[in-house]
Amino acid sequence: MTLPPFALLRPTTLDDALRELSEDSVPYCGGTELLLAMRAGLHRPAALVDLKRIRELSGVRVEDGVLVIGATERHADLAAHPVVRERLPVFARMEKHIGNARVRTQGSIGGNLCFAEPKSDVATVLMALEASVTLAGPGGRRTVPVEEFVAGPYYAEKEPDELLVDVRVPLRDGLRGAYVKFQTMERPTVGVAVLADDAAGWYRLGVGAVGEVPLAWSFGSLGEIDADEVAGWVDPTPDLSGSEEYKRHVTAVYVRRALARLEQVSA
Amino acid sequence: MSESASEPVQGPPRVPVTVEVNGVSVDRQVEPRSLLADFLREDLGLTGTKVSCELQVCGVCTVLVDGRPVSSCTFLTADADGAAVTTVEGLSDGQTLHPLQESFVDHFALQCGFCTPGFLMMSKALLDGDDVPDRAAIVEHLEGNICRCTGYQPIVEAVEHAAERLRGGAHG
Repeated sequence: MTLPPFALLRPTTLDDALRELSEDSVPYCGGTELLLAMRAGLHRPAALVDLKRIRELSGVRVEDGVLVIGATERHADLAAHPVVRERLPVFARMEKHIGNARVRTQGSIGGNLCFAEPKSDVATVLMALEASVTLAGPGGRRTVPVEEFVAGPYYAEKEPDELLVDVRVPLRDGLRGAYVKFQTMERPTVGVAVLADDAAGWYRLGVGAVGEVPLAWSFGSLGEIDADEVAGWVDPTPDLSGSEEYKRHVTAVYVRRALARLEQVSA
Repeated sequence: MSESASEPVQGPPRVPVTVEVNGVSVDRQVEPRSLLADFLREDLGLTGTKVSCELQVCGVCTVLVDGRPVSSCTFLTADADGAAVTTVEGLSDGQTLHPLQESFVDHFALQCGFCTPGFLMMSKALLDGDDVPDRAAIVEHLEGNICRCTGYQPIVEAVEHAAERLRGGAHG
């Protein structure tokens, strides 16, 4: 089906892109979410501002112990990126298995977060990692934790004239991580991330896909994580992937499986 | 390969694109909203690429852009500017089938055939990669493609066989 008409703007600098943005002139990168929403008639912008030619929005680097990922980096590239694989293998493995091979080729990490799809694997793992995003706007830059940025279903904490510049993940030496998900359709029923920095006594659990937004919690030890208790903390949305009761059940099962998987992961 | 007769007289400015399609360089002015699947099928007459779900779920519209698989139903033609696009029409060498195509025939990996171009192009992307895929890797890579006829087993076997043949293994 044909898309509604729109103009295509292709700035090469961040400043030029910011000048183009408005309620009716929206950021565009891989199109895996935006073009579908436009085809479904949910969105009809007058212009798409293509971000793919802006060098500042791409690339992966480590800066003061923080992994900085450019907003336009594609899932497939992140899954294969040597720095990501070495410094944050749990994230690289998650990226290798999101959506399907075409979505991974086209879709970007920034687009994924800005669309705030409730079943996003990316948001679940990033929340567990205590990652944040950098937003640039007419008034300057601000940093927002992913847990606040992904504020609701299909709602990200970003003004129409702001751009997501990069995703920042604090790195931890000796971090162990596991992400497991249950999936029978295009999107997961539940995804569970568990992370452990034993030296620092830092433990995190993230649960996504079951409810309107992923959730993450901190613990003082792995032993504190009670799968049945966690199943009571989530707020499942009944949908085609299951009822509320069912989703609580698979949440508990996958928390246990994530913990079991983590035991096999060495630092 | 004919130009569209009814050029819109208004609307957003067109975008010039130069795309190498199956080795042939093509220059066109396209609407920003032009989707690669429509461009291939309607502007270029390459109807081997099919369109079905339009949600990036079924995989029938898969083509390769610079060697990487994309859903051409959800890919702007403007984004293919400067790129090499390979469609199912670009697989065979004249009348000589690509080893994947031959293997699909040998293993009865198609019935109605509607999904086949997508499975072939997805499989080509996998076999063109650095790693020689095992069965598990093939199954995982093809997870995003839907076939309602075969039950998938013959398709996986066909790709497995082609992978062995392309690596010059003893089973080829």
